Amino acid sequence: MGGEGWLFLFAVLMAAILLFTMVFFIIMFSDLECDYINPIDLCNKLNQFVLPEMIAHAFLTLCFLLSGQWLAFLLNAPLVGYNVNKIMGKNHMYDATEIFRTLSGHKKESFIKLGFYLVSFFYYLYRMILALISGEWLGW
Amino acid sequence: MSQPLMLPQGWEARWDPQSSAYVYVDQNTGRSQWELPTQPTYPSAHPSSSPPPADASAAAPAHTRSGRRHYPTAQIQQMYAGGGYEQSSQATQQPLAPTYPDQNAAPQFFTPGMAGQEQQQPPQPQYPSQAPGYQQPAYGQQPPVDQMSQQFQQMNMAQKGGAGYADQKQYRNVQTINLIGMQPDVRGLEAPPPPALLPPNASVTQSPYSQPDPSYQRCTLNAMPTTQSLLNKSKLPLALVMAPYRSFRESDGDIPVPVVEDSVIARCRRCRAYINPYVKFIEGGNRWKCCMCGLSNEVPQLFDWDQREGKPADRWARKELNHSVVEFIAPTEYMVRPPQPPVYAFVIDVSQAAVQSGMVATAARTILESLDSIPNADKRTKIAIIAVSTSLHFFSLPAGATEATMLVVPDLTDVFLPKPVDLLVNIDESRAAIESLLSRLSDMFQDSYTVGNALGSGLQAAFQLVGKIGGKIIALSASLPSLGEGALKARDDPKLLGTSKESSLLNSASSFYKTFAIECSSKQVSVDMFLFSASYTDVATLSALPRYTAGQTYLYPGFNASRAEDAIKFSTEFGKVLAMPIGLEGVIRVRATRGIRLSAFYGNFFTRSTDLVALPVVPLDQNYVIELQLEDDLKAPFVVLQAGILFTTCYGERRIRVITQAMPTTDNIGELYASADPTAIASYLTMKAVEKSMTSSLDDARSLVTNNLGTMLSIYKNQVTSAAGASAQLAVPDNLKLLPLLCCALVKHVGLREGAQIPPDLRSYAQALLTTLPTQALVPYIHPRFYSLHNMPADAGTIGENGQVILPPALNLTSERLERHGLFLIEDGQNMFLWVGHEAVPRLVQDVFDIPAYSDLAGGKATLPVLDNPFSQRVNAIIAKTRELRRGVYRPHLYIVKSDAEPALRSWALSLLVEDRMDHMSSYAQYLTTVKNKVNGSS
Ligand SMILES: [Zn+2]
Repeated sequence: MGGEGWLFLFAVLMAAILLFTMVFFIIMFSDLECDYINPIDLCNKLNQFVLPEMIAHAFLTLCFLLSGQWLAFLLNAPLVGYNVNKIMGKNHMYDATEIFRTLSGHKKESFIKLGFYLVSFFYYLYRMILALISGEWLGW
Repeated sequence: MSQPLMLPQGWEARWDPQSSAYVYVDQNTGRSQWELPTQPTYPSAHPSSSPPPADASAAAPAHTRSGRRHYPTAQIQQMYAGGGYEQSSQATQQPLAPTYPDQNAAPQFFTPGMAGQEQQQPPQPQYPSQAPGYQQPAYGQQPPVDQMSQQFQQMNMAQKGGAGYADQKQYRNVQTINLIGMQPDVRGLEAPPPPALLPPNASVTQSPYSQPDPSYQRCTLNAMPTTQSLLNKSKLPLALVMAPYRSFRESDGDIPVPVVEDSVIARCRRCRAYINPYVKFIEGGNRWKCCMCGLSNEVPQLFDWDQREGKPADRWARKELNHSVVEFIAPTEYMVRPPQPPVYAFVIDVSQAAVQSGMVATAARTILESLDSIPNADKRTKIAIIAVSTSLHFFSLPAGATEATMLVVPDLTDVFLPKPVDLLVNIDESRAAIESLLSRLSDMFQDSYTVGNALGSGLQAAFQLVGKIGGKIIALSASLPSLGEGALKARDDPKLLGTSKESSLLNSASSFYKTFAIECSSKQVSVDMFLFSASYTDVATLSALPRYTAGQTYLYPGFNASRAEDAIKFSTEFGKVLAMPIGLEGVIRVRATRGIRLSAFYGNFFTRSTDLVALPVVPLDQNYVIELQLEDDLKAPFVVLQAGILFTTCYGERRIRVITQAMPTTDNIGELYASADPTAIASYLTMKAVEKSMTSSLDDARSLVTNNLGTMLSIYKNQVTSAAGASAQLAVPDNLKLLPLLCCALVKHVGLREGAQIPPDLRSYAQALLTTLPTQALVPYIHPRFYSLHNMPADAGTIGENGQVILPPALNLTSERLERHGLFLIEDGQNMFLWVGHEAVPRLVQDVFDIPAYSDLAGGKATLPVLDNPFSQRVNAIIAKTRELRRGVYRPHLYIVKSDAEPALRSWALSLLVEDRMDHMSSYAQYLTTVKNKVNGSS
């Protein structure tokens, strides 16, 4: 059975992508603080990535659910809930008129997400290696 | 030291050594009690037997002996008004309190030395009983000797603190006042902020103009804490309140902004600060040391050269070294493009509701009449007119043509211009066509019974027209935008009012207006909204557009031009907006001594970076608040805050107005409190509260105000007066004694008030005003003025020595002052209420309204007739004066309120009397108790 190995390989890649997205967000926020970018461009740029990031994360969580990886699923479910709540409240997008007032909150959120993706990255890596050394993951 | 305590009038504290406690003695009756007295015996309660207010000469020394200081309010005010420190002799020559004619034999304040005179004065004669006019015996202007001497004593005390400032170890005396049981002295609301006590040689020139007038810029604190932890500990807010593009009003004693004529602009190479009175010249005057970052800069070559005369000039006469507010003429490097002309695009709703209400006709007539007053000094001004209903109507106004041609575009989703030229035209070249269009505009749509308003699409069309140049879009709408882009729905569900969900009605319903605002801002376009509604028009959503483009929202609820008052109000205000000498393509940047950081911006603009806000069009007299933080400890003896506004004048000149303010630093928490400016703090709290009401709830917004006040005063009590434990009193520093009143008035203001009766449109509009009015207009908008007219002093309503109409003394905002036979005026700068008591004698009614009896008088919006009798003329003079008293374009409506009819109007007028209990909102006295409990609870 190689399913688990493949799943966690995929998860590792996804976590890496999400990790880089968050790094990108944080860099952009610091750029705004240093006046390297204006709030309108910043929001236009970041808003392109907001939904893809959320969808990617939700898809990964769905994969865990369907493959019965309960622990991984439970780890991710709260963040999915948080994201869905934001979308329902229509405040998931960055608002250029309010960005300076909300900047510290956005930064904090991005850092927390960064930490979360980092932890999940290592967890998925560990699970992948576990599957690898159990010799099952490529099916022979 | 025991807590200095202010007892209510008529009480004296005596130390009882046996019980080691104070016993409180009522000096009138000799009655004594252990409980702290809270109720002063107001003479008004029993005028004939009113107690002699504690005799100043006897009482004060007694208190000194007993280890308590007893500072009568009026006296402290005198010290304060006199500047306290350097102008003490002047202060003693002009005692403030006695020059105020007394109000109706009800002196709420213990005025030392006046006791005897008050006793001699008969109760205020009522209107009819005093035939020869409405005057009142004048007071002797001479303060008694013992009062003078006592004042001198206090001056000396103050001087010891003030004069020794040079060694920087002396602080101002914090005078503690106890508020419970005292009626606030509302005349103090106009007092200037506490002065910033700078070291003697802070300014290079000893110019009297080295600090800006508070109308330009004021700070919540006039002494800067040296560390953020001290600021945090004090719980005082640190924010700049400013209106850099302030109007010039001779009647307010404004001096014109000095303009630096030569284009020598000395700026720091590192922090880009402009040279100002607080820099230091070094190396024999060849270099100057920046007061913000300390960098040594070269003095420009032509700095000491008079270019016009071609000879050396006196450096110390340079305007930028003598004035804290100066304008520089900016050379080309300050321009992104050549100065643009002023551009006005009018988007006028011509749906049935708009035409029927007479809005279209009044607006067109006002524009027509204003064609000569619209800024057009260099004949470049352009205008465009777009009429909007279910489709867009453009008008081609070719130069030289005598008639306008209408072009109709029915497509509302993908807005395009029907013609590339002649839609936005030069006001002079196309004058004939513009005039012909404006005079016919209303008639053109008179018979079109179209219902529907595609305002959003109209705004987009106007944006396409003016976007290339930038300028002002003025939208006039008399119905809810219902079609095309940015269509809105009536969402004013009455069930939401008064609940926590009400704040959703204060937020934008559609993202269109915010997104569009960002687009406008980046293309230097500003939008003004004039809203006329018979029903809900979603001011909350529409006002987002002016908010982020530095425009303004104006609301005319239930507008009907067939009522002369409505038409006059709108056309006066609209005319003033059109004639306003706007600035174009403006940015404001604030710089401060290193260590100070700007942390938040409040006001109508778009924040473009951490220290820069963009104002596509800079309107006159708009207020902005900028919150400050300290990121480093401040080492210097004083700091400098400099606001620079770069803009293009409407006659095509790029200018920089620089406003420099300096203040000393302090590590003493008492000094912070003594230097706090109540008006600026109230302004700051207003901005914070309005923001809170949108992001959270109105309930939280009100708590924010009260909690902020409570924590401030509890820190004051614990850290400055060092009183421990619960107290029956509420101690405040003298300079903040009116802050609780302003906070009480703010939480009861229609913009924040509790209640399920306030239409969301009125609330949103009130919030738009609260966040934009300059402090001069904001204070009366929060805390209205209240005058008694039937018994006003003889000189009230006449022209005074300075050529201005004298206003009657302002009264406390409580209905106790309303008399059944009286005539009163309550005004907040937006509305005026002329209150007529139901027992008003026929003569009064006849003299003022030209109506035989009270019963024939009709309440409601009115214009007062000018009659051939002195009283009518004086009342009219006071009303006219009130209308032009403050900066801004507003012309308040006058409502006649009968004290026993029209309950809605009556309760509206009464709702301005904020010291009273209202529905389930607390009275001022109850509010103080709430604050006191918060203070006691946290100690
Ligand atoms: Zn500098």
